[in-house]
Amino acid sequence: MTRFLARRLLQMIPVLFFVSVIIFVLINLVPGDAARLFLGEEAPPEALASLRRELGLDQPLYIQYLRWVGGMMRGDFGRSFKDNRPVLATLLQKVPVTAELTAAALLIAWAIAIPAGVLAAWRQRTAADYGASATALVGLSIPNFWLGIMLIYLFAVHLRWLPASGFAPPTEDLGRNLRTIVMPAFVLGVVLAAVVMRQLRSSMVEVLAADFVRTAQAKGLAARAVLVRHALRNAVIPVVTVMGIQMGTLLGGAVITETIFAVPGLGQLAVNAIYTRDYPMLEGVVMTSALAILLINLLVDVVYSLIDPRIKLAGGRS
Amino acid sequence: MRRWGALLLAGALVAGVLGAASAQGARRGGTLRAGLDSDPPNMDPHRSTAAVDRQVFQNLYDKLVDTDQNLAIVPMLATSWTVSPDGRTVTLKLRQGVKFQDGTPFGAEAVKYNFDRMRDPKFPSARRSEIRPVTDVVVVDPSTVQIKLERPYSPLLYVLTDRAGMMVSPAAAQKEGVNFALHPVGTGPFSFVEKIPQDHITLQRNPAYWQPGQPYLDRIVYRPFPDDNARVANLKSGDVDIINVVPLPQVKTLAQEARQPGARFRLLEHGAFAWQGIWLNVTKPPFDNKLLRQALSAAIDRNAIANVVLQGAAYPAYSFFPNGTPAYDPAWKIPPRDIRLAKEKLQAAGHPGGFSFTLLTLPGEQQQSIGQAVQSMAAEAGIQVKLQIIEFGQMLDETDHLRHQAALLGWSGRPDPDFDIYPFVTQSGIGSFNDAGYTNPKVQELLDAARILQDMSQRRRAYSEVTKILADDMPYVWLYFPKEYKLVSTRVRGFVHVPDGMMRFRAVWLAP
Repeated sequence: MTRFLARRLLQMIPVLFFVSVIIFVLINLVPGDAARLFLGEEAPPEALASLRRELGLDQPLYIQYLRWVGGMMRGDFGRSFKDNRPVLATLLQKVPVTAELTAAALLIAWAIAIPAGVLAAWRQRTAADYGASATALVGLSIPNFWLGIMLIYLFAVHLRWLPASGFAPPTEDLGRNLRTIVMPAFVLGVVLAAVVMRQLRSSMVEVLAADFVRTAQAKGLAARAVLVRHALRNAVIPVVTVMGIQMGTLLGGAVITETIFAVPGLGQLAVNAIYTRDYPMLEGVVMTSALAILLINLLVDVVYSLIDPRIKLAGGRS
Repeated sequence: MRRWGALLLAGALVAGVLGAASAQGARRGGTLRAGLDSDPPNMDPHRSTAAVDRQVFQNLYDKLVDTDQNLAIVPMLATSWTVSPDGRTVTLKLRQGVKFQDGTPFGAEAVKYNFDRMRDPKFPSARRSEIRPVTDVVVVDPSTVQIKLERPYSPLLYVLTDRAGMMVSPAAAQKEGVNFALHPVGTGPFSFVEKIPQDHITLQRNPAYWQPGQPYLDRIVYRPFPDDNARVANLKSGDVDIINVVPLPQVKTLAQEARQPGARFRLLEHGAFAWQGIWLNVTKPPFDNKLLRQALSAAIDRNAIANVVLQGAAYPAYSFFPNGTPAYDPAWKIPPRDIRLAKEKLQAAGHPGGFSFTLLTLPGEQQQSIGQAVQSMAAEAGIQVKLQIIEFGQMLDETDHLRHQAALLGWSGRPDPDFDIYPFVTQSGIGSFNDAGYTNPKVQELLDAARILQDMSQRRRAYSEVTKILADDMPYVWLYFPKEYKLVSTRVRGFVHVPDGMMRFRAVWLAP
């Protein structure tokens, strides 16, 4: 296990390096001059030149890249072009927010998808199955910006149960934190719930037809025990894979959801950094997201072995 | 007759009592929550380039002079001003006993420091072009400064009502250097507490403010809501008390809702301040041909854009000067849409079958519906419009280098007419504001003259003359002047709606 983790963590280094090259090249390929956007429309050339010098944009690209990567190795992600704030400090402020949002979305997705998926597979080709599948299709098709606005109108404008926007750190006010996070997490969780439910249903259908399930039923086990202990445990492995893959989608969805609900997370930070050509900030966000996705995939692999002891985590050669 | 007289008298009494009550009843305390259309990027007024920054600045900084709701110049940090007969020296008398929020005294030295800071070639200031004619600032005595100009510059006072007139604390600016934006200090009614990017900016009451008794609020919290619908919903739900940008397509519905009994918000409307239209790049085909520019203009129904597409939330436009601003000339008439004329122009240009071009637009519902309206109007004359949506940074890159054919872009407007027209149609703006690449010696001459003239009625004549030339040359197809709106909770009292759209909160208070 330790060797497996060590190897996987080491493997991340070349991947992150590759990501850093791609993001740096892409950012510099996008038309638009950061100094120009910063100083505005009638900026005199001498002011543009002095700002480019200040931001290090007058250096050749490879020097800019080496400076950036060298800085990151020392834990210095550079400073925002917009207000000279250290990028790392801002990232550390935003990461917990998006982490909580995606975790809550994940919980909501499970809470909807697991019962629905099991039910749909257990009661195949019944009204319950068709109902659950149709609902999943709707969940997949609803644009999340629309769902977000509808929820705000229902729960914040008309019923006045929830705040329309914002975020309160859980350490400051847990009640308010939960009240602010529930709508965005639901919006984000609905699409994932639909994906997970469909995946779970099909793998449950397969598992329920397997011999060991029939054996378990023949032994006279209660339906509940058969479903949960035997079938679900085996059916859930492909679902975990799907969830790992969906984490990227979830982070992407967070961009829109955070904008609608004014949640100050990584998503909003990324959008703003793109619009204002805040290169160091954008690079920081992308590197953080890449790292998060790598770590989540590692976690998924560990979870496999916990669910199914037959899957061994190979350390070194296998 | 006597009864009417009595009624009038009673009415006057009631009005007087109500007026007095509202002035006396100003309640101290409370937090005002303001929703903005984006996250203000930079808190240094001399470096800021985003329009939204100015919303926060209104309450954090004082300006040398301010504008009132009729766009007249009124005293602020300067109590009076005189212009020398040759127009090259502007003398400002400064308010005495004013202190910056860090305790630094405000006076002539501080004013000089601020101008030097904006003019320092080593300091990347975004204000330099606005104060370019300033050659020196002379301290006459602790409360008098003279601004020396290389030539008369009539827009100067209006320029000083905006970011160039905002005075930063010399002590704080020297100490913080480029980090001043993180710890801004002014003389305004509210001082800076914190800014969490993309989340909020908090200001708190400046207890030592020079206007006795003001401000009334304890705190202001600004929060960004880039999504139009989300911003409106947050005002309706009571999560914010005022929003700075009201989406024009929603104005009609919001006005109806605000009129209903028990409504919790009001919709404030003011005349237009900004302009919107289409830049035609005159340096490359197809719009290097004046006849094709005129053909496109003739095909556009400006009344339909203002009244149908935007549902009356804008005026149709046929100049750079919105209705109600000082240089507006009521003699200008919006030409009716004329497809026959458009076709004649196409014929004369040797394109009887029409032509096609790409129109760049910014993302957003409103921009796209305008683009589509233009597209269908032009199509009837045989002009094919291809719409291409690009993001703002890329748009600037295209237009700065004059790579585009046409671009749907506008301007937020300034209280002085000079900055609504000068850089947009003269050589000085090529590569920045002049997105047509258009120059004309006659236009240049008239606009230079308008800068020297001190009298607005004389300046208006020069602007009318220029507008006539531009209406023929048509480097810019004027479309509409968006009206200025604010959506405000009924709790907010004492708010004065100034047409520049800036939210000044020093006299605002909250009803219980």
